[in-house]
Amino acid sequence: MEATNGTPQSKAGDWRSYERVLLPPVKDLHRLEVYEQHGGYDALRTVLTDDSLTPGDVTQAVKESGLRGRGGAGFSTGMKWSFMPEPDDRPRYLACNADESEPGTFKDRQLMEYNPHLMFEGILIACYAMQIDACYVYTRGEYVDWIDHMQVELDKLYDKGYVGDNIMGTGFSTEIVMHKGAGAYICGEETSLLESLEGKRGYPRYKPPFPAQKGAWSQPTTINNVETLACVPLIVNRGAEWFASTGAEQHPGPVLYGISGHVNRPGVYEYPTGMLITDLIDEVAGGVRGGKALKALIPGGASVPPLRADMIEGVTMDAESLREAGSLFGTGGMLILDEDTDMVSWLRRVTHFYQHESCGQCTPCREGTGWLEQIVTRIDEGEGRLRDLDLLLELGDQMEGRTICAFADAAVWPVRNTVKRFREEFEAKCKKSVHPTGAEVSAGAETAA
Amino acid sequence: MPTITIDGTTYEYEGDHKVLQFCLDEGVELPHFCYHPAMSIPANCRQCLVKVGTPKINRETGEPERDDDGNVQIQWFPKLQASCTVDVQDGMVVKTHRSDEEVQAAQKDNLELLLINHPLDCPICDQAGHCPLQIQAYKYGPEGSRFEFRKVHKPKRVKLGPRVTLDAERCINCTRCTRFTDEVSESGQLTINQRGVKNYPLTAPGEDFDDPYSMNTIDLCPVGALTASDFRFKARIWEMSSTPSITTTNATGSNCQYWVRDNLVLRITPRQNMAVNEYWLPDEDRTVYEQFNNDRPTGPQIRTGGNLAEARWPQAYARAAQDLSSVDPSEILFLGSAHATVEDNYLLTQLADALGADAPRYIPHVEPGAGDDWLITDDKTPNAQGCERLGIRAVDEQMIRSKMDAGEIKLVYVLEDDPVAAGLFTEEQLKGVSVILHHYNTTNQTLPAADVALPAAMVVETVGTYVNQDGRAQRVRPAKEIRGVNRTLMMEMGKARQDTHGTPFDKWYNEENRVNCKPSWELLPEIAERVGHPMDYAKGPKQVMDEVQSTLDAFAGATYDAMGLKGVQLEDVETGETV
Ligand SMILES: Cc1cc2nc3c(=O)[nH]c(=O)nc-3n(C[C@H](O)[C@H](O)[C@H](O)COP(=O)(O)O)c2cc1C
Ligand code: SF4
Ligand code: SF4
Ligand code: FES
Repeated sequence: MEATNGTPQSKAGDWRSYERVLLPPVKDLHRLEVYEQHGGYDALRTVLTDDSLTPGDVTQAVKESGLRGRGGAGFSTGMKWSFMPEPDDRPRYLACNADESEPGTFKDRQLMEYNPHLMFEGILIACYAMQIDACYVYTRGEYVDWIDHMQVELDKLYDKGYVGDNIMGTGFSTEIVMHKGAGAYICGEETSLLESLEGKRGYPRYKPPFPAQKGAWSQPTTINNVETLACVPLIVNRGAEWFASTGAEQHPGPVLYGISGHVNRPGVYEYPTGMLITDLIDEVAGGVRGGKALKALIPGGASVPPLRADMIEGVTMDAESLREAGSLFGTGGMLILDEDTDMVSWLRRVTHFYQHESCGQCTPCREGTGWLEQIVTRIDEGEGRLRDLDLLLELGDQMEGRTICAFADAAVWPVRNTVKRFREEFEAKCKKSVHPTGAEVSAGAETAA
Repeated sequence: MPTITIDGTTYEYEGDHKVLQFCLDEGVELPHFCYHPAMSIPANCRQCLVKVGTPKINRETGEPERDDDGNVQIQWFPKLQASCTVDVQDGMVVKTHRSDEEVQAAQKDNLELLLINHPLDCPICDQAGHCPLQIQAYKYGPEGSRFEFRKVHKPKRVKLGPRVTLDAERCINCTRCTRFTDEVSESGQLTINQRGVKNYPLTAPGEDFDDPYSMNTIDLCPVGALTASDFRFKARIWEMSSTPSITTTNATGSNCQYWVRDNLVLRITPRQNMAVNEYWLPDEDRTVYEQFNNDRPTGPQIRTGGNLAEARWPQAYARAAQDLSSVDPSEILFLGSAHATVEDNYLLTQLADALGADAPRYIPHVEPGAGDDWLITDDKTPNAQGCERLGIRAVDEQMIRSKMDAGEIKLVYVLEDDPVAAGLFTEEQLKGVSVILHHYNTTNQTLPAADVALPAAMVVETVGTYVNQDGRAQRVRPAKEIRGVNRTLMMEMGKARQDTHGTPFDKWYNEENRVNCKPSWELLPEIAERVGHPMDYAKGPKQVMDEVQSTLDAFAGATYDAMGLKGVQLEDVETGETV
């Protein structure tokens, strides 16, 4: 839907009367009994028992639903599934990415706590669709409580014959294994996750080969985010068209918005994609705290470019609209910063995070993340020079697109865009030039030296 | 044949290649650090970035699209690619720093980043002078650095194990060392610890890096992070000369370089030979370097009045000849040696033959179970094969002992070995027997029983041939000088070492470090001449080997020229017994 007569338009339709499907308001839904009373595992049963539904049909339905990964990259899930080679005598794996560590992102946790069976059911359907023998749920180690709690529910599934051999007596078998991470952000990157799963250091692998060809233990593997998999039973139950017509056309479905920062009601909110950012801030999250003005919004976790308040007018939360606005959907973890926020100091915290979390394999990322932090820190402490701003941007060019995984890019985007979009704040913190105005040396090493 | 175009030059190729290795094979140099042909590809240093394109294929026709001039249109990868990971494809176009400014800039940027936390302690670093980081930084790096902060500090002296010390600050995290222990030596002893800019390799807590191949990580390390504990800070690379040769610690005949300063061997490193040791060298082959420097004899000795006394060389030859002539040839035991070269053993057989004595025997030095299935063998000598191929058989200890007890042995002639230490005889048993001994070190346990002691040149001082357990004939060259004038050695030295190190023209020069010894191929003809059987090998060991390879099938083809730097694989032959 295009904006008409100047009024910004949501793509989320009548969102105020939206009924939650990922996190429905049902007490104790995390318990298998309760989940089943509410139609749980019907989707799995349908898929496994309906002879007319081949694995390929399931993948096709997911493709038609338009579901895009909720882990950050927003890649078409059905497409990803179809990259798996034809089954042969090799084992095949699914990895459910529950490592959720992106700053400002806490929506998978909500699913794991309140509706883990939706994830499990999604896993089982995905395994059927790709004819997979085993799924590892790679969970952020800090989520110990939820790991224990999911294990209890998983045990029930095994007891009930919903996981393991001969599921529901249909002859289809697949295992689910809970795996605990050890506290590294980088292990959420899919190939690093696989290395870690294999018991190695969490070092991302270069691609190609892609995991579908050579994944866990070199076998065909697909990696999907928790929320992505949780969408799958909904697609089976309600149909691909329902999914495709929910929210933004190019990026449809229900989605969990994790709203944090300077708002009155931070939290995880389920709505269709394509919500107006302003609706989410002003209505859903109760507006900016203390009636202050908005300064910046980071729409999808710390890795995506921040938007200035004046850039969000009419922007909706979906890949297309955010790309046009100059950012990304990411994880849908929205960070709201009010007018009092010191953007330099905010960026300092962000660069510290990337410095601390770089796996250290690639030269540009290992060295560059630390350097970025040092420069931003110096500016924040009032010791920066104007030329440091150019250096930050140049360093970004030295790092971006030259590494094994997307971490370095993710470390650069906030820096590049915060410096560009809030440049006056940075300049204000830099030391005054000792040179007459206009003579400040502001270029790279060769000319500056 | 499929083709690939690199910087405008088109190359034909067959089989599978990665772009980086293909470039290196074609002599197109590309900067890189983490890639090593014998190990998995981590693509972590990011130094080898190039621009890569493939022909734009028309989806309908399957044919490449062409522009108006008929040239194939190229679809460039959107990002620069790590050439170590890219598979060579037909029609691929590659631009390196030679033809593309973006690649040039990327390589420069990467080097700037590599150096920001590097301590730059090149002035005291062992690696300086042959450091891939130093060389490539000068060649491709930026003029200066824009980094104005405190560098990350890490431990400077981590004793990883008995032989390897880490300077963690110099590490560039290429993971060559950890991949070596994971994939090559398979000890799994090293891993990277910590994360990001703080990381460096380490063993598990409480574990020692005592892998029998641990020192290979020092060679692999592209910076001076991993150093040899007993070599670090000892010598600068440019003060030493290196001589291509082989190690003699066991029967593998691993190819190596001997590094010498002032006629002292300071370290031994591997030399690539894919038919023998590939890129590697076991630690036991390296830690022996001191035997070439320490406990070396000061000159020949002869027994007079019950005591061994220093003598001049001609006196020693005369005495040896006199002793040999004063016993019946049937009472002489000639001991050849699996430590000595083919040439030396051959001359010994000639001498025994001329005198009418029994053919020489050699003492096997086999330690069952000491070897692995790789470069360390049970056999602790380099030339048992050479002996066997010359028809020299292992000693029959029983037979020799009974002969000894029966007093049937009056003279023992020992070529570069130590029968007392080997347990063949006791010093006591040798009391009434004449002993002529070619020895390397004063620690030789047969030396106290010797009547004539002739210091022999060691592998690092001689010219000769060894045959490894797989029948590969390989030649050695002098790496250090001995006293006295020997034209053959000087010429070989000149060819192998084009420097002045350890010569009187060098500032590092101590006369004491030149050992007063001679190669056995010089000693034996001197003695032979004095017993009336002159040998005519004016051209030295080269001529000896020519004769050996032309008269004995077991050595056919093993001329010095053919052996060159990598050796010659000899035909399989029946040997007396397997060692
Ligand atoms: C540095 C980095 C960290 C990531 N962390 C996570 C994470 O914590 N959880 C997640 O689901 N995806 C994460 N991703 C994205 C995954 O690599 C991958 O794209 C995703 O799990 C695929 O699932 P999806 O297609 O269902 O989104 C991360 C990516 C990068 C580059
Ligand atoms: S980009 Fe950074 S996090 Fe990713 S593999 Fe390279 S060093 Fe590790
Ligand atoms: S110690 Fe050397 S070989 Fe090992 S990772 Fe560091 S730089 Fe590479
Ligand atoms: S050689 Fe290190 S990335 Fe290619």
